[in-house]
Parts: sequence; C-alpha cells; structure tokens
Amino acid sequence: MKNFIDNIRSKPAGGIILLFVSIQIVAIIGGLMFADSFRYLNPANIAVLLKSMAPLGIMAIGVGILMITGEFDLSVGTLYTFCAIVTATMVKEYSLSPYLAMLVGIIVGILAGLVHGNIVNKFAIPSFIVTLGAMLLWKGSTLLYHGAKSLRYKYESESYEVLLKGDVGVIDASFFWFIAVGIIFYFLLHHHKIGNHFYAVGGNAEAATAIGINPKRVKLIAFAIAGGCAALSGVVAMSRVGSVQPGGGLGLELEAIAACVIGGCALMGGRGSIIGIMLGTALIYTIQDLLLLLRAPGFYFDMFVGSLIIIAAITNVALRKRL
Amino acid sequence: MNQVNLYEAKNITKRYGNLVALDCVDFHIAPNEVVGLLGDNGAGKSTLIKMMSGVVDPNEGNIFVDGKETKIKNRKESEEIAGIETIYQNSALCDDMTIMRNIFMGREITNSLGFMDHKKMEEVSTEVLTSGVEIAGIDSPQKEIGALSGGQKQAVAIARAVYFKRKILLLDEPTSALSVRETEKVLSYVTDLKKENVSSVIVTHNLYHAFQVCDRFVVMSHGKVVFEKTKAETNIEEVTEQVIKV
Repeated sequence: MKNFIDNIRSKPAGGIILLFVSIQIVAIIGGLMFADSFRYLNPANIAVLLKSMAPLGIMAIGVGILMITGEFDLSVGTLYTFCAIVTATMVKEYSLSPYLAMLVGIIVGILAGLVHGNIVNKFAIPSFIVTLGAMLLWKGSTLLYHGAKSLRYKYESESYEVLLKGDVGVIDASFFWFIAVGIIFYFLLHHHKIGNHFYAVGGNAEAATAIGINPKRVKLIAFAIAGGCAALSGVVAMSRVGSVQPGGGLGLELEAIAACVIGGCALMGGRGSIIGIMLGTALIYTIQDLLLLLRAPGFYFDMFVGSLIIIAAITNVALRKRL
Repeated sequence: MNQVNLYEAKNITKRYGNLVALDCVDFHIAPNEVVGLLGDNGAGKSTLIKMMSGVVDPNEGNIFVDGKETKIKNRKESEEIAGIETIYQNSALCDDMTIMRNIFMGREITNSLGFMDHKKMEEVSTEVLTSGVEIAGIDSPQKEIGALSGGQKQAVAIARAVYFKRKILLLDEPTSALSVRETEKVLSYVTDLKKENVSSVIVTHNLYHAFQVCDRFVVMSHGKVVFEKTKAETNIEEVTEQVIKV
C-alpha cells in the first residue's frame, strides 16, 4: 500500500489520475446498474461528452505550459474569439482556403502571445496584469474588427468536412485535434530539452539563470504556445459549431486555469503535466455530464467545479507532503 | 611561484548608479587552491562572485583566463571559457524536478532535434551519483530534489560541477542553510575536489569553516580588497580583526 501511494505521489499527475479513475468507475457502475435512468454509457451521451472537450482542452494545454513556466495568460478567452473571427473573415472575404485561414488565425494567436510575453519581459510587470489588460484589448478588438453580430462560418469541402466536422463512431473530429495537440506537447514538454527549461524556469528561475538558461526567452516561447493554442481552440470550436459569437470566449481563460489546477499544475510554476491537464479538462466535462444525467439544476455545475478546484489543490499538496 | 593563474581579474570596478559595489578590485585563483572570500555584509563579495560567473558585467577592468586576456559577457561564456560553476546558498537546483533533470538542466543530452535521451541521461546521472563526490543516502536519480536534505542538495550541485569538468567552483555561502554534520560533509567535498584539480572560492561568514579548508584568505570591505594572506602567513585572530574593522 505504501509503495502504491509512493508511486502515485511521485507522479505529478498522480492525484488527478486517481480522482479521474475513481469517478469513472463509479459512473460506469452506475451506468451499468441503472442503464435506463442513468444513461452514462449511452453512445449518444459519450459522443456529446467527447465533442465538448476539445476547445477548452486545447486552450488549457497552452495555458498549462505557460503556468509551468510560472506565468499566466488571462487573455486566451477573448483571443480565442478574435482569432476565430480572423480565420472566418479570411475565408469569407479574402477567399483563402480554410486551412490557410486557420494558419493565419494561429499565427495571429502566436504573435499576440509574443507581444504579451515581450511586455512582461521588458517592463517586468506581472503577467497577470499584462494579460488582464490584453483580455479587454482583444475583446474590444473583436468588436472593432467585426462588430457585435454573430458570424456564420460554413465551408463546403470534402476534406474540411472530414477533418474538422467529421467523426469516427462516437468520437468527434475535434477530439482528435485535442489528442493530437496533447501528443505534440507531451513530447515537447516531457521529452524535449525546452520542456526541461520550462520546468526549470518555473521552478527556480534563479537556478535556471545560474546554469545558463535564459528565462526571458523560455517564457516568451511559452507565451507564444499559449497564444497559438488559444487560436487553434477558437478555430476548432468555430468549425464544429459553424458560427462565432463576438462576445463568446470570455470566462474560458478561468476554466482553462481551473482545468490546469485540477490537473496538478502549481500556481507558482514548476509543476504540471500534459496528461494531468488533459484529465483535468476531461474531469470538468465528466462532472458536468454526470450532473446533467442526474437532472441537477445548472448552478450545481459551478458549485461542483468550484469545490473540485479546491479539493484538487488540497489533494496535490497533501500527496506531496505525506509520508 | 610562477604558475599561471586559472583566472585573474584586474582593476575591476562595478557601479550601480552612485553606489560603487566593486572599487578597483584585483582577484585571482591559482590552480589547486581554495580561496576564502571574506567580509561583512555589503562588502562586495557577492557582486564579485556574480561578476566572475558572468551574471554581472563590470564597468571597468580586465579579465584573464589562463594568463590570456578574455572578455566574458554572460553566464555561458564564463562556464565555457573559464570553466566556472557557481553554487549558491539555495543551491541552483529545482525542487520540483528529479535529480537527473537537475544534473542536465541547460545541458540536456539530446538528439539533433533537441529531444532528450532519457536512457543515457539516467546512466550518466547514476554514474555521477556513485562516483567522484560520494553522496550518502541517494539511491536513484529519479528522486525529486525537494525530497533531499540541504546537504544532499549541495552535494548534487557539486557533483554536477565535477561531472561537467569545471576548473573553478564558486561557492556563495554554501553552508549557511546546513546542519553541522552536513556542513562538515560539504567542506570535505571541497577538499576532495582540490585533489581532482578543481579550485574553489568560498564566500562565508564562518571563519572557522574558512580556516578548515582555505589556503588563502581575501578580505573585502566597502568594495575594496583590504587584506590578502595565505594560511601560513596569518592566523584566525588576524583575519577576524580584518573582517570586523570598518
């Protein structure tokens, strides 16, 4: 037993894996026992669950990597909308192919991240403040660029239908994007040397400097990743739904931070993992789904996620301090 | 003694606005020696250490490595040209990372695309932990640094410096956070390193520690070097007097 606990404790995502698996076991047993009244295992339910995850998940991966380096980006929610609208107008008004337009959207996101990072680095202002300002800036820019009316986004093409709107069984295309982004950043964070630098800078910036790592450069890369992921999640969400609301996206940045904290990222940097962030996202949506299936009123969701954030933080600290 | 100094700084001046942190300082490190850099708070010891490790740029002065004049602009150059490694009070390690990732922090073994070779890094880490500086109580390089004691952390930092074949080790108050027994251990590492041709500079407030391991003493006050003698030429009373006199 002690070995088992030790093993979980030594993994940054140990707490969340334990929590996620226990909730799944309970839900699956419930689904099997009350197949008629509690339709957790119903294919339609699984499809909806998987479909909803990708936008927040992709965004959370970028936000989480930035959190590991010890910084925040509160502007990803409004940036998500801005980049989606840029992508849509590229297709509608400049007749770009949707893939090229997507690339333009992502580049805009990366550039925005670089601007945030440069301001944080140059003027030594906390990223919390810089991106709080940027959050409103991107919200305003969206209204300036497009106006307040919602934008329909449709593109007729076979490959596009498959890659961004298709599905395999119960698995939606957007979920594959989520997994792909997860795999790419898993290798970057856990196997590439830049990942080691992210942890070093977030864990002990002074130590990183002493050893010859440039924390400003590393943080800049993380800001760019956060911006790029926000843009991609915006485009993926827009493609699936077929429209964008200029006022949408606001609030997602906090949900993304919540997913990261639930997944074991430390608020002050230096800890976290891709698998944790992905399971954190999955857990938020699983709980939402369970509450819907139990026909709980909507506000229960906020209460549950709120408690979950605190419980997850306590569990992570306790797992680290124990034994 | 005609041997060439490993490192020599001449007439170094560093100003922060009106404050002169280093005032025409001459300082050298010879092969096979341990230098005690002493002085009260604000004497300029830490600025000198930071200057040598390349983190602080001097306003004036010249630097010689192995007798040749050299410009050292940043940490990387100090490490690569002069072979200098710095060990700080709160050692330059990340608590949340494993020993292995700490040893290779900033110098990861990677393929051409920058992906890390975990297997090789683990092999080398195990070797680092079992040879050279012996560290008691550490069995696996996958252990997190946060789980180690202060002395073990310093030992890992020193082992890292030894593995990467540094010639000069700068220790900025390496023992101030350690227990008595751990302090003895760290001091004995420094003596061991001399046998492996690694010179050290120790900044400390504890003159007894300094006398235990140092071959030469340099006392600073108000940004200047005010006293410099070898162990044979002086005694602990004289050095103490030099440190406390204003």
